[in-house]
Amino acid sequence: MAQVGKVTIRVPPDIKRGDVVRIRSLVIHPMEIVQRQDGKPVDKNYLFIHQVIATYNGREILRSDTTQSISENPSFSLAFRPTEPGTFKITFLDTHGGKYEGSAEIKF
Amino acid sequence: MQRGEDEAMAALREGERVSRRAVLSILGLLGMAAAAGMSVLGVPEAALGQGTLGALQPEEKVDETLQRLFGGRAMKDGSNVIKMNIPLIAENGALVPVAVEVQSPMSPTDYVKHIYIISDKNRRPMNTRFSLTPELGVASVGTNLRLGETTDVRAIVEMSDGTLLMAKREVKVTVGGCGG
Repeated sequence: MAQVGKVTIRVPPDIKRGDVVRIRSLVIHPMEIVQRQDGKPVDKNYLFIHQVIATYNGREILRSDTTQSISENPSFSLAFRPTEPGTFKITFLDTHGGKYEGSAEIKF
Repeated sequence: MQRGEDEAMAALREGERVSRRAVLSILGLLGMAAAAGMSVLGVPEAALGQGTLGALQPEEKVDETLQRLFGGRAMKDGSNVIKMNIPLIAENGALVPVAVEVQSPMSPTDYVKHIYIISDKNRRPMNTRFSLTPELGVASVGTNLRLGETTDVRAIVEMSDGTLLMAKREVKVTVGGCGG
């Protein structure tokens, strides 16, 4: 089983200026769902990713506020048309203070 | 007074409503609670975290979710500009891929600001909310959803000028993906 917090990013090769790039990312994470006991939800601090932030050269380009109704080992994809070469970074934040990051370079 | 406090503490742990008088009498136990490694109100520290029931969206019907998020604002049919890719039948409700693409200039004055994914029959209907910026150049996002049962899945798009557009698709779910 891969380690919780491991981030994978896929950026296609051979990007030309003006292309729309499809970037896919995945993070290993349990995305705990609410347990029920006698028909009522159990109150505890569930462990799941609640925020995803994507930046390009330090500027936020996309954010996602996520919930437990996103799948385990969540995957996110976005389309992006970079106007300059640079660094794409994605950060996943979970409810226990976990912070998992990955980055990829885009060159023309 | 002692019995009232015990009952109120038990009620708090069960997440039920507690009378103001009972809460105030519990606060008198603060010193003991702190020593026991618990937080204010005698609730374990973990219970105040970001993943606790109080921090989640409420369990509610989708009409209540829509009212809470959009306050009764008009929602236009967006099916001519919103393309939703989602399977008609999902064998596994725990992993249902969805992709939403919106035709938009994505210019600083005219861009897609938010894309909400909402599954009507989920206990907490909002799956996620994407927040986009013009720098993306295009509006196209995707993720994997958990669906509890056969449901309409909506993509609600909020444009930079506040306009709301909606597209939806029914997804038949063979095995639900939300557990209990």
